[in-house]
Amino acid sequence: MPDSTTTDVPLAIDIRDARYVYPTGNVVALGGVDLKVERGEIIGIIGQNGSGKTTLTKLFNGLLKPTSGSVIINGIDAAKHTVQQMAAHVGYVFQNPNHQLFARTVQAELEFGPRNIGVTEDDIAVRVAEAVEFFGLQDVIEEHPYRVSFPIRKLVGIASIVAMRPSIIIFDEPSTGQDHNTTQIINDLMRRLREEGTTVVCVSHDMPLLADVVERVIVMKNTEIIADATPREVFADKALMARTNLQAPQVTEIALQTVVPFGGPVALTPAELAADIASRVGRKAKTASPAAEVAS
Amino acid sequence: MSMQAALPIAMIPGNSIIHRINPLAKLVWVVGYVVLAFSTQNIVILYSMAVFAFILAPIAGVTKPLLKACLILVPVGSSLLALQIIAPAVERPWTEVASLGPLPLYGDGLYYGFVLLGRIVASLIIALVMVMTTHPSDLFTSFAKLKVPYTLNFMLAMTLQLIPVFQREVGIILSAQKSRGMKGTGFAAVLPSFVPVFVGAIERVQQLSISLESRGFGSNGVKTSYRQVRGRPSDWVVGIVGALVVAGLSTYSIMRGTWSLAGEIQFSSVFVFVTFLISATIFAGIILAAILFSFKK
Repeated sequence: MPDSTTTDVPLAIDIRDARYVYPTGNVVALGGVDLKVERGEIIGIIGQNGSGKTTLTKLFNGLLKPTSGSVIINGIDAAKHTVQQMAAHVGYVFQNPNHQLFARTVQAELEFGPRNIGVTEDDIAVRVAEAVEFFGLQDVIEEHPYRVSFPIRKLVGIASIVAMRPSIIIFDEPSTGQDHNTTQIINDLMRRLREEGTTVVCVSHDMPLLADVVERVIVMKNTEIIADATPREVFADKALMARTNLQAPQVTEIALQTVVPFGGPVALTPAELAADIASRVGRKAKTASPAAEVAS
Repeated sequence: MSMQAALPIAMIPGNSIIHRINPLAKLVWVVGYVVLAFSTQNIVILYSMAVFAFILAPIAGVTKPLLKACLILVPVGSSLLALQIIAPAVERPWTEVASLGPLPLYGDGLYYGFVLLGRIVASLIIALVMVMTTHPSDLFTSFAKLKVPYTLNFMLAMTLQLIPVFQREVGIILSAQKSRGMKGTGFAAVLPSFVPVFVGAIERVQQLSISLESRGFGSNGVKTSYRQVRGRPSDWVVGIVGALVVAGLSTYSIMRGTWSLAGEIQFSSVFVFVTFLISATIFAGIILAAILFSFKK
């Protein structure tokens, strides 16, 4: 796919004045969005329902073509390529795993994507083995995807995309309806993907997850991007949160009402808040989770 | 979502005169169309019915989705005409008007093919116009007034309401599979989409039935409806006119022994030959494409 690029290493995502109007012509789903994402960045997209988050991410892999403006992914014009062509570059993890699972076994499910994009059988075996190990799917590898529990099914859905090893992965509401264990695995996965240099885009209403993992938050309202900053800056902006009807993580809210007025940090995680409080009272913070404490 | 644009068999919101007609009056026309279509072999009547039904589409503002839904007629129509021309579903003797090598082509077969196609086209178009201009809840309320059993009525309304839901679901599933590099052709590509659709449909119906039972569905007592449908004098006129026209034409047709014009209309050999070539080519093309796709990985 020979597309012209302006730099040697193109941006992972380079969107310029992208608009999307539904074919009916009367609903603007995305209005003039500009967004640049470096390779290896991990970003979160937040906003109320209908703000344009999903529409924006569907431009990345060509599921939707911009009505105007440009969407350049890894130097490739997504509007000029099919979804199948973009699949090798952009992985899209749908919210509901039931929408993508069909094979007779989990193994076949994991092999489906890599085979579609032309990965050799040897490489497929390696990728599947890695995914199985990371997601802990050893016990269900021969099971039918619909026979495993919903959280495991969600992991199978994510693993099937990860096995394709795209350079950009989009997660649409990855933690919705998931138990703590699955959410933790998703959290770990995002960290690992970041370490491996994969660009991660996470659309979510799960603010604690975003606060914990992403390094940049895009805030959308009424089909436009209205803020683009670090999670600390975004969640500390009370006016922005109020304007978008969003709520910062509880721990951040507590920090804003307690330690921040006294020069403390805008905590994003319980550990950060605990450390600040502990330092104020001259003691060392306990970082273990309550569950771990009970276990010990 | 953009899926709304791709929903050919669902209610298209609007306030046209067709939308405002009482569902029962519209139902009289649909049932009447089916009765008349299957009681006559007069192709002038049949295609006049189809044209009249189609004229309602622009009035209701549903032309585009109607045309989309009517695409199903391409394989149906081509197969009907091609097969009827070489093997008419009427009693012998057949009139051979042309031949394609050793294959005889029959003029009466083409006539009967047009009759069968006309029945389908007329009934389909009027039924689609009704579905596209009638809110399922209004239909439900209207049936309730006719004392249709509540459970049966509810099942019908639910079926109509689930169609757009499933269509949207199919769109999402296709997107999910394309995102994993699925090429979108062949039986091997259809399978990844149909399994989630069927599983989703079964799950949804299961959840719906549990939800209904947990909210007292099936209990005794008078059932009321949130949406009220009133029968205005104009609705009565539409319904009665429809019933009278259908009853009149059907009776006349039956009295004249299906009112067939097969004797009066003689197709030329060239017309039969060309019609067969076109319909057979389309039909064979569809079959061939289906076979090729089935074996293509």
